Amino acid sequence: MSMLGVVLRQLLRFGLYAGVQVLIIGQLSLFGLGWCFLYLGYILFLPLRTPIALQLLLGFAIGLTMDISYDTGGLHAAAAVLLAYLRPWVLRLLTPRDGYDAQDTVNVHQMGWQWFMVYLLLLVSMHHVVYFFLELGSFRHPLLALGRVGVSILFTSVALLIVQLLFFPVRRGRS
Amino acid sequence: MRNLIAFLLRFQGVMLFVLLEVMSLFLFVTNSSYHRAAFFNSANAYAGVVLARRTQVADYFRLDELNRQLLTDNARLRQQLYPPDFARREADSLPVRRDTLGHIIYRHLRPALSEAAVPALAGKSKEAKGLKPRISNYPDTLLLGAAQVPTHDAAYPLVAARVINNSLRAVDNYLTLNVGAADGVQPGLGVMSSSGVVGQVKAVSAHYATVFSLLHSKMAIAAKIKRDGTFGSVKWPGDDFTYALLDYIPRQNRLVRGDSVVTSGYNAVFPEGVFIGTVESFVKEPDKNFWTVRVRLGVDFSRLTYVYVVHNRPRTERDSLEAAATAPEPAPVKPVVKPKIPRP
Repeated sequence: MSMLGVVLRQLLRFGLYAGVQVLIIGQLSLFGLGWCFLYLGYILFLPLRTPIALQLLLGFAIGLTMDISYDTGGLHAAAAVLLAYLRPWVLRLLTPRDGYDAQDTVNVHQMGWQWFMVYLLLLVSMHHVVYFFLELGSFRHPLLALGRVGVSILFTSVALLIVQLLFFPVRRGRS
Repeated sequence: MRNLIAFLLRFQGVMLFVLLEVMSLFLFVTNSSYHRAAFFNSANAYAGVVLARRTQVADYFRLDELNRQLLTDNARLRQQLYPPDFARREADSLPVRRDTLGHIIYRHLRPALSEAAVPALAGKSKEAKGLKPRISNYPDTLLLGAAQVPTHDAAYPLVAARVINNSLRAVDNYLTLNVGAADGVQPGLGVMSSSGVVGQVKAVSAHYATVFSLLHSKMAIAAKIKRDGTFGSVKWPGDDFTYALLDYIPRQNRLVRGDSVVTSGYNAVFPEGVFIGTVESFVKEPDKNFWTVRVRLGVDFSRLTYVYVVHNRPRTERDSLEAAATAPEPAPVKPVVKPKIPRP
């Protein structure tokens, strides 16, 4: 795939994730407690070999877009940059026995359920814990924050799993 | 130099991370300060357009809720336009007393206060009312038919009411008031307006009361002439609703045109001294022992709006005493003889 193609593709993904989040998903709330952070899929499903600097910049960009939409200052951006920074560490932690193949992507069909769920839940949990405790600004209402974290992890994970199952190719399986 | 570049490349991730994180947190922490650059919030033009579009679309899905909200609003506004029967029981200004020239002084109720004062006038909350300063604008006494009637009396509440039905032309006329048993009104209580005696409560339901108007063939009000205290009885002859007759004034008494006729307080429905009317004309009829006195009524029954139901004080005790006094002598009770029980 040419360089231009990659750039265009990523721009399109950025627009889609941000648009769907702001226009549709952001309106929903589960049990009045948790929200869906669908835009995290943009960072989580980036190609495996994306340079760390680019990941951080993209995370900052999409986080800031959310902040502008939701008037949260830099809250989303801070959590998203942290997520982008942690992602390579988690990927390294989850390296299969024989390393990543060249064509590997973050794909539930390719990498298997177990790998994918650990990857997803680990990163989403870390992101949400940071996000909600930052949002609260203190540890005054830990139970409320924990409830929000729990419900949001559920919501976001299920939504991202659905995105994976619907839109990611089944073929080119890892054999 | 090369070492520096190598160092920067080696730690580019950490440094960029720290830089971006510090930037984000700075934006987040300064979010609430109002001199923030306007770009980084949803007020900037691009985000504003997007969010406005989203609201437009989302509103379609909330039409049901919006509709219901509008209906409630409409109902509330309509209620303000057409108040229910039970609202507006008192005029905006109430007569309080007379000044030295004889002019009536009115106390104006603020619009917000008149609303608060109406439920407070209902008998039940009377006790609590004395403690609360919120109706301090409400006068202590009202000048009703030239008599000062206390309004803050817990045991004998003065119930403000509005006439919602009235008849003038029949032989027996009745009024309907928008107060009832829930407001402490009972059959038999007196009804008066600020200009004088109106009638007597006939029957009550929970929220309404019917009243014998003074213009009723069976109504007779114990009255007296204020100047010399001669007492008589005011009855309505059944023709003109601005006049009534004062009976039982002995022929030898001198009468003056324009004398005030007030309640005597003999029949304990009204307090003493409530204005009924003024003497208009009087004739001696050859076949009667009493003057025939025409009284111009103080109350204009054709324009009657705000009235008050009064509890008169020693009513029950007095009625029972008088009933006992006029009742036929009871048969002498045979003394009960206790059978003597022999003591063991």
